[in-house]
Amino acid sequence: MRLELRDVRHVYAAGTPFEVEALRGVSLTVEPGEVFGIVGGTGSGKSTLVRHMNLLLVPAGGEVLVDGVDATTLKKSELRRRVGLVFQFPEAALFAPTVEEDVAFAPRRLGLDEEEVGRRVRESLGLLGVGDLAGRSPFALSGGEKRRVAIAGVLAMGPEVLVLDEPTAGLDPATRGELLDLIRHLREAGVAVVLVSHDLDEVAEVADRVCALHAGRVCAIGTPAEVFYRDPGLAPVTVRVASLLQESRPEIGEPVRFGETVAALRALSGV
Amino acid sequence: MTSLGQFYPVASPVHDLDPRAKIVATAVLVAGLFLIDSTVGLLFVAVALVALVGASRIPVRDFLRLLRPVLFIVVLTVVFQVLFSREGTTVFQWGFLEVQAGGLRLALFLALRILLLVGVAGVLTATTAPVELADGIEDLLSPLKRVRFPAHEVAMMMTIALRFIPTLGEEAEKIRGAQAARGADFSEGGPLRRARSLVPVLVPLTVGAFRRADELAEAMESRGYKGGEGRTRYRELRFRARDALALCITVLVLLIGVLL
Amino acid sequence: MQNLGTGTRHGGSFAVSCEGLTFSYPGFETTALSGITFELRPGEYVGVVGPNGGGKSTLVRLLNGLLRPDSGRVLVSGHDPATEPFEVRKQLGVLFQNPENGLVAPFVEDDVAFGLENLGVPRGEMRERVAQAIRAVGLEGYERREPHTLSGGEKQRVALAGLLAVEPEVLVLDEPTSMLDAAGRREVLEHLEELRSRKTVLHVTHHLEELLNADRILVLNRGELVADVSPERLLSDPDILRENRLILPVVPRLARALGFGANLKRPEELADAILTRAESGTRSR
Repeated sequence: MRLELRDVRHVYAAGTPFEVEALRGVSLTVEPGEVFGIVGGTGSGKSTLVRHMNLLLVPAGGEVLVDGVDATTLKKSELRRRVGLVFQFPEAALFAPTVEEDVAFAPRRLGLDEEEVGRRVRESLGLLGVGDLAGRSPFALSGGEKRRVAIAGVLAMGPEVLVLDEPTAGLDPATRGELLDLIRHLREAGVAVVLVSHDLDEVAEVADRVCALHAGRVCAIGTPAEVFYRDPGLAPVTVRVASLLQESRPEIGEPVRFGETVAALRALSGV
Repeated sequence: MTSLGQFYPVASPVHDLDPRAKIVATAVLVAGLFLIDSTVGLLFVAVALVALVGASRIPVRDFLRLLRPVLFIVVLTVVFQVLFSREGTTVFQWGFLEVQAGGLRLALFLALRILLLVGVAGVLTATTAPVELADGIEDLLSPLKRVRFPAHEVAMMMTIALRFIPTLGEEAEKIRGAQAARGADFSEGGPLRRARSLVPVLVPLTVGAFRRADELAEAMESRGYKGGEGRTRYRELRFRARDALALCITVLVLLIGVLL
Repeated sequence: MQNLGTGTRHGGSFAVSCEGLTFSYPGFETTALSGITFELRPGEYVGVVGPNGGGKSTLVRLLNGLLRPDSGRVLVSGHDPATEPFEVRKQLGVLFQNPENGLVAPFVEDDVAFGLENLGVPRGEMRERVAQAIRAVGLEGYERREPHTLSGGEKQRVALAGLLAVEPEVLVLDEPTSMLDAAGRREVLEHLEELRSRKTVLHVTHHLEELLNADRILVLNRGELVADVSPERLLSDPDILRENRLILPVVPRLARALGFGANLKRPEELADAILTRAESGTRSR
C-alpha cells in the first residue's frame, strides 16, 4: 500500500486564543514495504503527523491518500486495520486480564472467527518473542515485555503499514536492538514501517528513507544520506564522524549505517 | 485550556481577594439567600451580584455560560409553579390550565433564588484559582485539627488532584486514541454497549493512576514528606483590610436583602 | 572489609558506604541484592549500570530508606537510612526516572518548595532558596507554570531544582533521562555536569555515554556487584559488556571496530585518531 500525505495541515484549538498550527503543509509518501523514518525535535509535529496516517486526526487542510484514494472516503475500521498505529509508551493502554485477551482485542473487533483470532494472537506474540507470556496478566510483566505485548496487539490486525511512535522510548539498549531487528523482519515480510524517533542512530540503522520535520514543516526528505549529511551537526554519530573527515578525505563518501561506516573508515585509514 | 473548567484568569480586585474571605462570603451568601423571603430582596442581591461580576472583569457571556447547567431546573421550576400553584387572581386560563398571579410571583422568586445560588458560587470559582481554593479551604479547616480532623491531608489531596487532573485527562485521551487505533468504537450502540466499550480505557487509566500514586508517594517520601507535622507553607495567605471590607459588604447586602 | 564506623557527616571519610547489603522483595524467591559493598567518597561521580532487574532501582531505594535491607548496612553521611530516613533524606536526594510522577504541586515554584516545606524551613528563607534552585537549573520565568505544560526535560529540571533547594550532599539519579527525548536528555545532562564539582553523585543509567567522565562505574547484575571499574576499563572489556547486556556507545564501538582503544569518546576525537593514523600510514609508505 502506498500511503501519501499531501500538503497536510493541522490546527489545534482552532478559533480559540490557544490556537496552534501543528502541521503547516506536510507532504510525504510511504512506499510499499519500506522503512520510513520521521525525525524532529519536540514540537516539530511528529506525533500529530502520524495520527493523521490512520485518521485519528483529520487534516484541516490537504489530504491523506491510500493507494491514491482519499482516506476519508474509506471505512475507518478498514483504514485502521491497514494502517496500524502504535503510540508512544503503548503499554499504558494494556487492559485485558491476560496477554492473549489483550492481543485478541483488535482481531476480534475485525469480526474474525475465534480460530483465526487465536492464530493471529499466537503469530504476533511469537514475532515479538513473548509467546510464553500468553496466559500472564499484562500488568505483571516487565516494561520491555509490556511494550512487546502492546506492539503485538497492533500487529495482530495484519496491517500493511505499521506506524511506530518512539517504539524504543524508555527501553534498555539491548531490548532496543531487538525491536530494530523486528522492524527489519517486518520489512522483509513486506510490511512498511513508519518509524518516528528522536534517536537518530536508530533511524540511521534501519530506515530506507527519512523525513525531517521542524515546526510543522518538512525540512528535508530523502535517503538517510541525503537527509543526514545536510546538517551533520544534528545527525547520527556515524554521519558526524564521517563528515568530519570529508573535507580532507572526500573518498569517504556518505556512509550512514554502522557497518558501511566501519568499512569506509577502514578503507580510509588502511586498517 | 489549562484551568479547571470555570476559573477565568484575568486581573481584577475580586481575583486579588484572599480566598478565605471569598469562601466565607460565598458560604454566608448561600445560607443567607434562604433567609430572604421577598422577591424585591432577591432582586437587590441580584443587582449586587451583577456589580460583582462587573468588578471581576469577567465577560458577561462567559459568566452566563456558568448558569447554563441549571437552566433546565429553573425552567422546570417555573413551569411547575406557573401551572400548578393556586394563589391569587387568575391571570390566564386555557381549558383546564389555569395560571394565577401568585404562581407567577412564586415562580419568579424561586427561579431568582436558584440563579443567585449558582451565580454566587460561580463568581467564587471564576475568580479563585483552584490552588488558592485548596489553600483557603485548608486554612479554614485547620482549627479542626484540634479535633483530629485531617485538614492538612485533605488539602494535600486536593492539591495533588489539581496537579494531576490535566495529566490524567491527557492520558485518557491517549489511551482512547490507542484503542481506537485498534478498532475500538466508543460511539456505537446503546448506553450499555457504550459503557462497556469504555472498559479498555477505564481499566488502563485506573491501573495507571494507582501506579502513578505509588511513584508519587515514593517521590514525596524521598523528599522528606512525613505528614503535616512541623511543615511550613510556601504560599502565603494574607488577610488584608480589603478582605475584611469585602466581607462587610457581603453581610450588608444580605441584611438589606432580608429587610426588603 | 572497610571500617565503616567513622563514616561521619560532612568531612568524614565516606559520603555513602554500603556493607553486605542484602535484600529480597517480600513474596519473591530471587534475591534482589546480595552482599553489596562499596563506598562513595565525597565529590565522586560514580555510575551504576547493569541489566534490568539487576538490582539498580532496589539499591537506590535502600540508600534513601524507602526500603530496609534484610541484612547489611548503609551509611549516608554517618546516618543509617533504615533507622533515620529523614536525616538521610536531608543529605541524599533522588531524581527518579519518570518526570511526571515526581512533581507534586500545581505550580513549578510550589513544587520546588516542597522539600523545604517538609523540613519546616521558614517562609522567607524558602523563597530565597527556591529562587536560587530555579536559577541553578535555568528555569527563571517558569515559576507559575503548570507541570503538565512542560516538556520532559523541563519537568526533570524542576525535579532537580526541588532536590537542590534542600542542598543535599549526595545526589542519586535513577535513570533520569531514560524517558526523555534527545533534547531533554541534553538539557538535563548539561545541568548535571555543572553539579559534579559540588556534589557527590551516584548515576544509575543504561546509557554508557552519560558515564564517560565518571570516576568509576559499578556494574550490578542479578543482585551482585560484579565490577567496580573505571569507564575506560569497562568500555574496553567486551566480556563484561556482553555478560551484563551493556551496549557500547557508537563512538567507542566504531573505535573498537577500527582497532583503536575504547577511550575515544567524542566524534571529533575519533576523527582525529583516524586522520592521524591515515597520515602516518601515508608517510610510512
